[in-house]
Amino acid sequence: MRMSENGFYVEKYNKCACCGLLVYGEGVRTGPGPKGLFCSPWCVEWTERRAKGEDDPVMPIVQPKLPFEAAYPSKHERLAPLDMVTMNIMDSTMVSICREMGILLMKTSYSTIFNEGLDFTCALADAKGDMIACAEFCPTMIGGMPLLIKTCAQEIPFDTLSEGDILLHNDPYRGGLHCPEHTFFKPFFVDGELLGFAVCIGHIAEIGGMVPGAFCGEATEIFHEGMRVPPVKIMKAGKDVEEVWKLILANTRTPRQSYGDLRAMIGAVDLGVDRITQIVRKYGKDVFKQTCEDLMDYAERRMRAEIAAFADGVYSFEDVIENDGITNTPYTIAVDLHLHGDEIVADFGRSSKQARGPINATLGVTTGATYNGILHVTDASIPKNSGCFRPIRVLSPPGHVTNVDYPGPLVAGNTETHPRLADIVIGAMAGCTPDRAMASESGTSTNFVFGGDHPDHDEYFACYDIMSGGWGGRKGHDGNNTVNAINGNCRFNPTEVFETRFPLRVENCELVQDSGGAGQWRGGLGYKRTLYVTTVPITGSQCSDRHETGPFPLFGGERGAAGGTKVMKAGTDRWTTVRETNNKVSSSKYANVVFEPGDRILLITAGGGGYGDPKQRDPELIREDVAEGYISQEQARSAYGFTG
Amino acid sequence: MSHALGIDVGGTFTDFVAYDRVNKKVEVWKELSTPTDPVVGIIGGLGRYKSNDAAAVEHIRLGTTVATNAILERKGAVVAYVTTKGFKDVIFVQRGNRKYHYDASWVKPNPLAKRRHCFELDERIDAYGNVLKPLDEAEVRALGEQIKANPEIQAVAVCTLFSYLNPVHEQRIKEILTEVLPDLPISISYEVLPKWKEYERASTVLADAYLKPVVSRQMGSMRKRLDEAGFQAPTVVIKSNGGEMTLDAAAEAPVNLVVSGPTGGVIASRHVAKLTGIDHLVTLDMGGTSTDVSVILDGQERFTTAFEIEWGVPIQIPIIDIRTIGAGGGSIAWIDKGGMLRVGPQSAGANPGPACYGKGDLPTVTDANVLLGRIDPDNFLGGRMRLDVERARKAVASVAEALGQDVDETALAIVRIANNNMVGALRSVLIEGGLDPRDFTLSTFGGAGPLHVGELMVEMGIPKGIVPNHPGQFSAYGFILTQARVDRQRTAQLTSNRFDKARAAAIMQSLVDEAKAQLTDQGFSDEIKLTRALEMRYLGQNYELELTVDESTLSPEADIEQLWEAFHAAHKARFGFNTKGDIIEIVNFAVTAISDSAVPEIPKLERATSAPEPMGRRSVGYAQGRFEVDVHDRDRLLAGHVLEGPVIVEEAASVTVVCPGQRLTVDDYGHLLIDTIQA
Repeated sequence: MRMSENGFYVEKYNKCACCGLLVYGEGVRTGPGPKGLFCSPWCVEWTERRAKGEDDPVMPIVQPKLPFEAAYPSKHERLAPLDMVTMNIMDSTMVSICREMGILLMKTSYSTIFNEGLDFTCALADAKGDMIACAEFCPTMIGGMPLLIKTCAQEIPFDTLSEGDILLHNDPYRGGLHCPEHTFFKPFFVDGELLGFAVCIGHIAEIGGMVPGAFCGEATEIFHEGMRVPPVKIMKAGKDVEEVWKLILANTRTPRQSYGDLRAMIGAVDLGVDRITQIVRKYGKDVFKQTCEDLMDYAERRMRAEIAAFADGVYSFEDVIENDGITNTPYTIAVDLHLHGDEIVADFGRSSKQARGPINATLGVTTGATYNGILHVTDASIPKNSGCFRPIRVLSPPGHVTNVDYPGPLVAGNTETHPRLADIVIGAMAGCTPDRAMASESGTSTNFVFGGDHPDHDEYFACYDIMSGGWGGRKGHDGNNTVNAINGNCRFNPTEVFETRFPLRVENCELVQDSGGAGQWRGGLGYKRTLYVTTVPITGSQCSDRHETGPFPLFGGERGAAGGTKVMKAGTDRWTTVRETNNKVSSSKYANVVFEPGDRILLITAGGGGYGDPKQRDPELIREDVAEGYISQEQARSAYGFTG
Repeated sequence: MSHALGIDVGGTFTDFVAYDRVNKKVEVWKELSTPTDPVVGIIGGLGRYKSNDAAAVEHIRLGTTVATNAILERKGAVVAYVTTKGFKDVIFVQRGNRKYHYDASWVKPNPLAKRRHCFELDERIDAYGNVLKPLDEAEVRALGEQIKANPEIQAVAVCTLFSYLNPVHEQRIKEILTEVLPDLPISISYEVLPKWKEYERASTVLADAYLKPVVSRQMGSMRKRLDEAGFQAPTVVIKSNGGEMTLDAAAEAPVNLVVSGPTGGVIASRHVAKLTGIDHLVTLDMGGTSTDVSVILDGQERFTTAFEIEWGVPIQIPIIDIRTIGAGGGSIAWIDKGGMLRVGPQSAGANPGPACYGKGDLPTVTDANVLLGRIDPDNFLGGRMRLDVERARKAVASVAEALGQDVDETALAIVRIANNNMVGALRSVLIEGGLDPRDFTLSTFGGAGPLHVGELMVEMGIPKGIVPNHPGQFSAYGFILTQARVDRQRTAQLTSNRFDKARAAAIMQSLVDEAKAQLTDQGFSDEIKLTRALEMRYLGQNYELELTVDESTLSPEADIEQLWEAFHAAHKARFGFNTKGDIIEIVNFAVTAISDSAVPEIPKLERATSAPEPMGRRSVGYAQGRFEVDVHDRDRLLAGHVLEGPVIVEEAASVTVVCPGQRLTVDDYGHLLIDTIQA
């Protein structure tokens, strides 16, 4: 990272040529240019071995460290004796604090993506920037949190922080996920000593940029995707920094709503700091610090025990993203998981070069997606703190679709590419743990966003709503119908809420028959909704995928059905797509299409992939599927050979 | 005609409490439950009623598990679901989220109707309550015939879009279907839950229809067999809101019975709070496999509309807010892959039960309590069951060895981790709900609750504790104290910037009329008390704060600004901030009507004139080490007795463990009050 001399702006985002991490200091140079810059000797060695054609991983892995972390010893000294009961109590107490923060956010925020969608996460971090606890709200943010906190800790010198300060940050290139994801950090102090941060990340629905709702399917630069905020103080010693507020709120189409959401996030970190400070006072600083270390070590041991149970080997998987909204060509996402002993190196280097359109993932997204995939096939009760991620090293070289370079666009990376990356990690893990793996889920959040002038309220409205598709089949169970892509865990808007808020009408909400990929364990079904534009025109954009290729199957199953977005213009009775009506490159990624009153938009989500040979499916299950209308007689015959 | 009976049917025992109004005497007893036909156990228990004079019984109040079990075991009716065209899959799509973040093996729950029994009608009401597409009555009749042709179907649930704003379609559908299907019960969402969000409303009305045939059958059979047994006294069942309703009314609206028994403990706690002058209680009802936690705030129990049959399948009628966790005396201790000692969620249950019961070999919380000397193996359940200490020791030793600790240390760690699980539940109802534990008294009951009262006070920072009378039959005890209660709610959105006070007043009045009528229709006409509330939020928010208002708040002469100010203040108090000047939205109107029947007068205990005599002494393990402590018999304690911790009080159904630094005082009614003398 090369900052301007006064620190006002970034001159260059320098990254490790091997793992893609930002290099803040000198790094390790092996040659000139970006290809010769590395974060650490471990990455140099990894790269050299690959160059020599050697295949064996460099183990044990060494996690990269930012310069500020050098101040902390790698092995901490014991400050207090190991106390399992205190660990247990502290862990559940801190998770409960995070949950309390989340409940406050859910109950006080203004936009539906927060309060219905729960698209946020709350966590606590220690002074080294390690995540020590988090509550289960949005998974993509949980995985992204450790990197995000560390980057922020690196950029804001601790001696400039005082009690009551709150930092705001959304820069995707600095540990972030995409611009809508705003992160608030509030440091907490006991007796004047900085002990850590309460953190909350949330999706702000409207942040300016080319389209209402930020999901610009045709973005080619970050500047199209809304306002970017480097780490800045939005509160100083408990007082609003008015200038920052005004700058931010001048750059959104819905300032009243955004203000409500930002205020709610501040309420959440305020609460987190109050609560954790009380806990530290109760147990004492030394016990607190030691217990945090013990908890992370414990989570690490649990994760190592899980990984050690899988057979060593290199497990690879790949899939494609059908287009980037700018050119109609597919992009490959690929992962090679090197499992060795109780560690995993996840290498995304075989993925396509960076796309021109917004499907690129940041390093934070790719890292979070890797964690997400691995957590899905390991013991779900492992505490989610930085410790459990220590045995996992993510390599995602810069300039790829899996680690976007400035100023490449990336808004869909967080919602579309994340689940797809998590799905291929699960797909790769199917090689060593077939019983726990799942065929691909729909893997898209649909992300149809729109805005317009509300006829009743004399106010601009913007809507970001999420739709869910089918889960993949897994051993012993069919895929669930209509569950959110695994990067998020959002609830979609009920029709009665949607129509109350927005001047549109929902005409149906129906499962899509035959959309689940055939298999011994069938994929779950996707669904469709038709939106009817009533009295005022709306401007719509979309960042989605899976309109052309259905979700992948495993072990001889079949692909799930692809989804789609169709349009019926007012006065016609024919379904078409924005490719035809507006000359767009892609039906899944486009920007600023005006839908007039009387127009209909049909949003269809994909079904999940099938697991295992369809011919092995229990005929009773097929009979029941037909009776319930999940599959047609026709599919029963053609895909399963069922004649009963 | 002076005896009131409370009966709570549990999984293992059916508890009975009788109150004699003339002699002011309380009698308690237990009978083994008969799960296949609970009425058998009830009639059997009534036969053992000491003052066995059926004619003296003026009132029977019953906690029933019929609805709870039908739902848990999915043994309700085959329901036909009827909704707006295009929307029958709402109950299958649900809300799109999942139970666990990281579990590829999770299976999404099914709704209470089969998809092949879901039907659509081509009608539509819009978000303003206007009819967009009128109901086609011929289509409804044809649908009725179609349902009639399917002998499988036993009940009908109707939920159409925006019916909470305009019920005209649902009401007409009900009329027509009743004509065509005179033998099938029909539930419509406007009557069950006139609130917005179609999935949640549909799920609630489905549950109602699903329960109607089975509840109706059991209520009918109950009346008949009580009559046959000579108990002709009016009999009511306890609703999920802690109020009572007649057997007929229960059969009509069975969704109100999903949580019946456990509400008794909360009602009894409310009464204890009143008797003892304690404003804020947090209740902890700990049994063998689960623990229920609830809050009494300002002398009132709290309600929730977030109940779920299982994750993702809501029933959104107002229910006493009881948080249940799977932790109890039978919770099993084990060591995970990271070397951490864990307790639960697996439970040894009643069979094989804790190792000390002599059948199982896995260490449980009860085993740890036995080894710590907190439970007397020779005086368990009043001596009716002898416990095997050696077996408990062997079980705990298996875990201790792996941890490299001695048995005593491990037993203590097991109890502390179990306590921590309960602290998690206490935190979630108190702190996560914005309440400060330091303002509360911890009320523990259930067989295992009083064992943990002292330590939970310490761990949770709750300064005071109480072990009420009859902790082993506390729910049944609550039933003799309950009242008839009706809650009515409706969604109707109004905003502060264009507020229509007359409309608001009219909605509130209609709810008042409905609530009153529901009580008087059941014959409850004693002094009806009304509470009115508005659920409000800033426009854009999605969760409401409930503000209690009085009759005059919406009157023509009232200054409505005061209402908005009250909301800003409530938001600040609950969430730490407010946004003055912003638009406020009223979302739901709520009315509660309570028929204030006479409340029993609880007998007082004789006053102590001398110090209490312990019945024994034994060594008991605490976090601070082992102590030789006095053991007292609760039956011999008198009002005014004071015991300094560490000390143990035993009674037939439970044991109270008081920690060092705590003090126990027996109050006039025999409640054991615990306070902290040194932290």
